[in-house]
Amino acid sequence: MTARAPVLSPSVTPLRAEFGAAITRHVVSCGDTIVHVDRERAHDVLAWLKDAPGQEFNYLTDITAVEYRDPERPLQVVWQLRSLGRKADLRVKVELDQAGPLEVRSVWDLWRGADWLEREVYDMFGIVFAGHPDLRRILMWETYAEGYPLRKNFPLRGHFSRSEQTRQALAANPEAHYSLEELSIAEAYQELPADMRARLARGERGFLK
Amino acid sequence: MGLTNPATEYRGADSGTTVTSVSPNWVTTRLDFLTNWARSNSLWPMPFGTACCAIEYMATAASRFDIARFGMERQSFSPRQADVLICAGRLPFKLAPVIRRIWDQMPQPKWSISMGACASTGGIFDNYSMVQGIDTIIPVDVYVPGCPPRPEGLIYGIRLLQKKIMGESIDNDMLREEHPVGPSGLFLPAERVDELSEPFGNSVSQTRST
Ligand code: SF4
Repeated sequence: MTARAPVLSPSVTPLRAEFGAAITRHVVSCGDTIVHVDRERAHDVLAWLKDAPGQEFNYLTDITAVEYRDPERPLQVVWQLRSLGRKADLRVKVELDQAGPLEVRSVWDLWRGADWLEREVYDMFGIVFAGHPDLRRILMWETYAEGYPLRKNFPLRGHFSRSEQTRQALAANPEAHYSLEELSIAEAYQELPADMRARLARGERGFLK
Repeated sequence: MGLTNPATEYRGADSGTTVTSVSPNWVTTRLDFLTNWARSNSLWPMPFGTACCAIEYMATAASRFDIARFGMERQSFSPRQADVLICAGRLPFKLAPVIRRIWDQMPQPKWSISMGACASTGGIFDNYSMVQGIDTIIPVDVYVPGCPPRPEGLIYGIRLLQKKIMGESIDNDMLREEHPVGPSGLFLPAERVDELSEPFGNSVSQTRST
């Protein structure tokens, strides 16, 4: 495999012209351009990148986050964008101070695909996406009480003893992981057993005995 | 009334006679043996395939290895018509209540096989999300080691289970006892679960849970 030439994305210059100091820095790494953005303006920048003529990053490839080993370093939220028409990629990053609120604005209003991606980052890192319509855990069950597994202060085997973990897992109701909208059997609602209907109507999902 | 000899019958009504002296029309056996023989040779598996081991399980069930040869013709995807639960793959905590409910739904007599390192011990996944051996969730009869076990390995495990069933006694009620999740929320004492989940091998030197 040949390494890609360190070519700066043509989006950087217009970005800097548009947002000025909100673009804190940019780097080219392994052929990919990474733009660091001020947290407050991140949503504006991403909206601009999506819609501005000549940018058109109409596909959100991924949202993830990074925490470094060095506790001084801030957490990063990463948006990987792709323009399907222009066949171009861009990575946008926001730094979140460990001490400050771990919160950024949701981009669900720009790309609907952000829904589960943001839920995953929330589930694993505890980063809150303000404005997300349904921000709850997606990989761990909803009553999971040990914290955020991909944070560096999270022990590999979790905080609780194995017996406590097992007890909590067994206490979860296996049918209560889905909301009514998520169930493909929603149309067959009337045919469900009465207790299940009652549970779904209450909006109940997981519970601990 | 004796059994009729079909060969004789076939020759027609004119020459046909009912033979009672030649055909074996009764046998003696121990009821234990008969029951166990029937049970062990018509095990209907409930495949609980969660990961890579399930691929090996599928190979075991398919034509080359063909567990139908051992009476496992019918894969029972309904726990209510199953005899042996085969957990093929790692079990995350999120699936623990599911396998427990499936086990509770299976009628007695029932057995279980833990297939592979992950199902038996948590395997390489000694982390926050994985059950460290399904024996902390349900009782297990046979453990099949390997990552994944080869089909021959699983077949050996199934043969061991059959052997175990042949040794059972129908008047031993303890064998058919249910082990429900108790008021503690576990089916084993908590210390036992902790002990079974202790790190071993390489994972001993990784960060312990606090
Ligand atoms: S024992 Fe190995 S093959 Fe089986 S589920 Fe675990 S990792 Fe996969």
